[in-house]
Parts: sequence; C-alpha cells; structure tokens
Amino acid sequence: MSSLKKLLSLVSAAALTVSALAVNVSALEAYDPYSYDRWGDPVASQAGYTAEKYVDGEIIGCGNFLEPADMYISHDELMYIADKGNNRIVITDLDFNLKGEMKEFSYNGETLTLKKPTGVFVDQYTGYIYICDTENDRVIKCDKNGNVDRLFEKPTSELYDQNLTYNPSKVLVDKAGNVYVVVKSQTKGAVMFNAEGEFLGFYGANRVEQTAEVLANAFWNLISTEAQRERSAKQTPIGFSNFDIDDDGFIFTVTDSQDIQTDLVKKLNPRGDNILDSLGVADMTFGDIPPAYYSIYSKRSSLTDIDLGPNGELNILDFQHGRIFQYDKECWLLFIMGGTGDQLGLFQAASAIESHDNHLYVLDSRKNNLTIFTRTVFGEIVTNAANLYNDGLYEESLEPWQNVLKYDGNYRRAYIGIGNALYNKYEYEEAMKYFKISISRGRYNRAFEGYRDQWLKANYMTLIVVIVVLVILIIVYKQLRKRGKIVYPWDKNRRGGV
Amino acid sequence: MLDLTKGQFVKHVIMHPFEGFEDLRWKKSGSMGIAFAVVCLLFVQQIAYSRLYGFQYYSDYDKIFNIVPYIFRSFILFGTWVVANWAMCTLFDGEGTMKNIFINSAYALIPYITGYLIGTVMSHFLIKDEYIFIQSVEIIGTCWSFVLLISGIKAVHQFSFGKTIALMLLTVVAMVAILFLLVLLLTLFQQVLIFILSIYTELSYRFRV
Repeated sequence: MSSLKKLLSLVSAAALTVSALAVNVSALEAYDPYSYDRWGDPVASQAGYTAEKYVDGEIIGCGNFLEPADMYISHDELMYIADKGNNRIVITDLDFNLKGEMKEFSYNGETLTLKKPTGVFVDQYTGYIYICDTENDRVIKCDKNGNVDRLFEKPTSELYDQNLTYNPSKVLVDKAGNVYVVVKSQTKGAVMFNAEGEFLGFYGANRVEQTAEVLANAFWNLISTEAQRERSAKQTPIGFSNFDIDDDGFIFTVTDSQDIQTDLVKKLNPRGDNILDSLGVADMTFGDIPPAYYSIYSKRSSLTDIDLGPNGELNILDFQHGRIFQYDKECWLLFIMGGTGDQLGLFQAASAIESHDNHLYVLDSRKNNLTIFTRTVFGEIVTNAANLYNDGLYEESLEPWQNVLKYDGNYRRAYIGIGNALYNKYEYEEAMKYFKISISRGRYNRAFEGYRDQWLKANYMTLIVVIVVLVILIIVYKQLRKRGKIVYPWDKNRRGGV
Repeated sequence: MLDLTKGQFVKHVIMHPFEGFEDLRWKKSGSMGIAFAVVCLLFVQQIAYSRLYGFQYYSDYDKIFNIVPYIFRSFILFGTWVVANWAMCTLFDGEGTMKNIFINSAYALIPYITGYLIGTVMSHFLIKDEYIFIQSVEIIGTCWSFVLLISGIKAVHQFSFGKTIALMLLTVVAMVAILFLLVLLLTLFQQVLIFILSIYTELSYRFRV
C-alpha cells in the first residue's frame, strides 16, 4: 500500500513539474495576454509589456495617495501626479524620488489652494504647469514655484451656456499656447482659451451616433412646427472625457461611454476634424471587440485615458476591464495587457496612463498606487518591426517580423509584414502565401497580379504552343467525327445517325 | 425531325429557349436522372462558390463549416419550388405533372450553374480589377436561366406568358408559406421530443431501486 502511495506521489510530482515547465513565459503575468485576429476573435498571444512593480505614496515619501486622478510626465522627465483626495500635486522624478509637492499657490498676494484637482499638464515650450482645480471651477496656470500666472475660469461669453457647471477635469496646451479644457458637463467639445485667457470657443465635438431614434427625430423635425421643435429633446453627442497631444500638434481624444461606438477615439487636426478617416480606421473598434471574451463580464470597454508613446503609439486605458490597449501610429493593435483584480498588473479603477521610453505608468485611483510596466523582449521586437514597417522600410522589417513569428505564430501583423517585404523583393509567390495566412485580400490581390505577370512572362511561349496545339486537336477531332471516323458506343442509340 | 437522345435533348433545350421545352414536351424526352444530377450539381456549385472562389475576391469565415445552409440553398429550395409550383398550377388548370415540373426547372438551372462554375474557375486567373469579366459571365448565366425557367414553366403547363409570370410569383409566395410551416412543424416536433424525454427522465428517476 505504501509503495502505491509513493508511486502516486511521485507521479503527481512529475506531473506538476511537467506542467510547470510547459507554462510559457507569458504566464508570469497575472492575466492571459491575448490579441485579436482577422475576424475579431481573441487569440492567445505573448505579453508585450510586463508589470514590473508598483509604487505608492509611502514609497515615494509623500504620504499615501487618495484617489489620484491624473498624471503627466513632462519633457524634463518629471512626473506630476494629481492627488485628488489630498488636494495636491505630487512631483517625482522617474526613479520615484520626491521632487516637490504643490498645495498652495500665490496669486496677486492671495494664497490659493486646490480642491479635488483631476488634471495636470506641463507645457513643454514654456514650462508652465496647468492644473484643473476641479471643484474650485478653474484652471490654474503657474510656474514651478507655485506662482500663478493666470486663472482660466468660466467664460462669460454668450456662447457659453451659463446654466452649465464649469468643472474642468482635464487640460492641455498646444504649441501656440492655446489652452483646451475638458468640462464634463459640456458636450460641444473642449473649451478653448487663447494664451491670454480669452474664451475662443469649443473644439472637436463628437458626432451624434446614428441610431434609429435619431433618424426618427430627424423625420419628425421635418414635419413639426417651430414650437413643437422647441419643446422636443435635442440630440446631443457625448462629450469626450480625456485627451493628449502629440509633438506635431494633433490632439487625440477618447470618449468614456459604453453605449455608443461613434467617435470613441479621434485624432483631431487644429481645425477640429477627425483625421483618423484618412487612415481608413474611423470606424475601427478600439478597446475590446464585443462581445469581450477573456473577461468575466461581457461588457464594452470604457476608454478613460489616452497617451501617445515615443513612436506615436496610442496607449488607451480601459476602465471597465482594467486593460491597456496599445496601438501603433497606424492604429494596428500591438498589445493588450492588464485586467481587473488585486495582483500586480491588475487594476480596480485605472484612472490615467502615461508612457516614457519603454515604460508604461498606470495610475489606479482605488488601489492608490502607480503600476510600472516594462516592455518585454517580445515587445521590443514587435515595436521595432512595426516602426520599420510604418516608416516604409518593408525589406528591413523582414527579419524582425520573422523573429516575431518565432515568439507568437498567431501574430497576424507579422505575416502581413513579411508578405509586404517579400512583395517588395518581387517574390510574389511567397508573398501570396503570407497574405493568405493573414487573410488580407487586397494585398493578396496585388501579389497575385505580380505573380501572374511573372508567370506569363516566363511561360509565354509554352502557353502559345499549348493553345495552338489544342485548337488544332479540336479541329482535327471535329473533322474526324464528321466523317464518322470516331464512333462512340452510345452513338448507336442515336436515332438520326451522326 | 429532332431524333435526339435524352442527353442531346438537354443541349437542344438550353440552346433553344423559346421552342426547346415545347419540343421536349412533345417528344417526352425529359430525363429524371439528368434532372436530379443537375440539382446535385447546384449543391456542388453552392459549395464551390463560397469555398473555392479565388482568394482575392472572397474569403469566408473558415473556422467552421456548416453544410446545412448549402443543402437548404440547393435541395430544399429547389424541392420547395417544385412542390409549390405543382400545388399552385392546379389552381390555374396547368397541365404539368410534378415530374415534368421537376425536369423542366432543373434543365432551366443549367446555365446558372455553369455560369457560376465558370466564374469560380476564372476567379483563380483574374485579379480584382478584372472582376467585370467574371461578373458578366455570372449575370449572363443567371439571366439565361431565368428566361429558360419562364419558358419551361410556360411549356409544361401550356400557359400564356402573363399567366406564367403570375404563377411564378404565386409559387414564390407558396414557397414562403411552405417553409414557414416546415419550420413550425420542426419546432413542434422538437417540443414533443422534449416532452417525451422529460417523461422518460421522470420515470427513470421514479423507478430507480
């Protein structure tokens, strides 16, 4: 009996060892890394980033955070954290040494304090700090020492509906010094001021989603009177909830809504037009593709923050599932990471995301800490390949993409990349194979066209000879049939003769 | 005059859309075997169209393959057409028997099937810009079949043109009704099956010793 027990324990121990060995690198994450295939189905993938550690207020040395709402990494590599619950801005360097704390500001001899700040931004050209002092209804522009230069308060213009509250939640500044403020109650877009604090108007409103209700209302509006129209409810879009600006001055917005699909992510030019259209991805689904697999609740993503990486990557934060979606500048999905939970790399209420070099920083307003993600080897290879590809260096990207496939055979983009590289080298037949695997018909069509031309050029003579021989054979056959030289057995059933 | 075998008659009918079916009726040369082969070919064509088409034109969601839609689009749809047409023609005093309706309708489908099969083959040699060639072959096949179908139904029932069109429209209505009833019937049988199964389960629990 005891020998049986020993055997059993040995077997189970062996099984454990084997299963531990079989687990791949990505199982180090607290979540299953996945990606989406051509059909929008989730497929297992490798981790592009790994959660390295977390940092909270105690570690930084400024006392615990309370509901931190936003952060910003300035160009002089300082991190500004809007610690909403403690009414302060915490400044640290990227090694998390405390560099300062902003609580009080001097303005014309007065002392101002913050009340629930939810947004912070640093102008890279002038060095001024912009803080959304949300519950005091103002945006503070100040220098590093807390000397206030200007306040951006509720516009008194007629264009601004005075019945609406003015609680600025996010702020950013463009090259020209124009200030854009996201106000939650405002659906017309961001409130825009010039550098002198003058109200300029609204910027980049979302469109109203085309639903059956909207169409029906448009119909009723056609036939209703002025007075009736006055009383009916107006169709308003949902205002965007967060934004970021890239070095070229394009503003990217995200809209935090699970009910609509229109304009959830936009890239705005200075006129306020969405130019994602030009990439052909205006109708793309950002975040999880519903139904969201790999999650307990099949809910839509609710995109709460967006950040632009050093190579123009879009890092989009999903509050609902605690996930980060990284897209490259052409809006190709690179990686998905994160999840909801207590472990490292999982979030309870992810509120803000920033990136620097090969790190991602995610703020959690319920765990009151900051998680640092670092790019993995796989992530490095993919990013490198994608950058080469996006710069049009298809042939140079061939090797990196082949490396990607060594790590993850499901990575669709790699097949497209290899296919394009081969296509540029005139290796059409091979390219067709890769395009077929990646199910990209348009590219396959181009490769096929090239392949057909090559084939025709190579086999031109053979083809002509075959056609001529065939034609001659058919003529000869018909002549022989006519003269009754070829008689098939079933011809005798034929009543009228041949 | 017209001493053709059954096989040769198929070619004659297709190449002579206006008197071909009259000749077929007069000579009683329709073949049930050939007609059934044509319907099987329709089934093959349906599958070829969605599975063997040139990749540059069309790629189906290929993680699963379900044969039921193809069976429906060929055998069931064709069968319903024949039954509905036969049922409707009695109201119009048509002369066609079920067998003749089956044969004429099947013969009429040949250009459609051929057009799409040729299109499928062509799709492996042409690029997207040249789709117009494939499309024209397919459209010609379809129109040809439509003309043949009108002519075939007209001949089998000895109707005027207007009456034939009216009958065909009514046939489509009847097909919808038949299919609706079939679905209803299937659902009912399912319910009955579930009922019997639950009684069995109940009993098997009760009589367990």
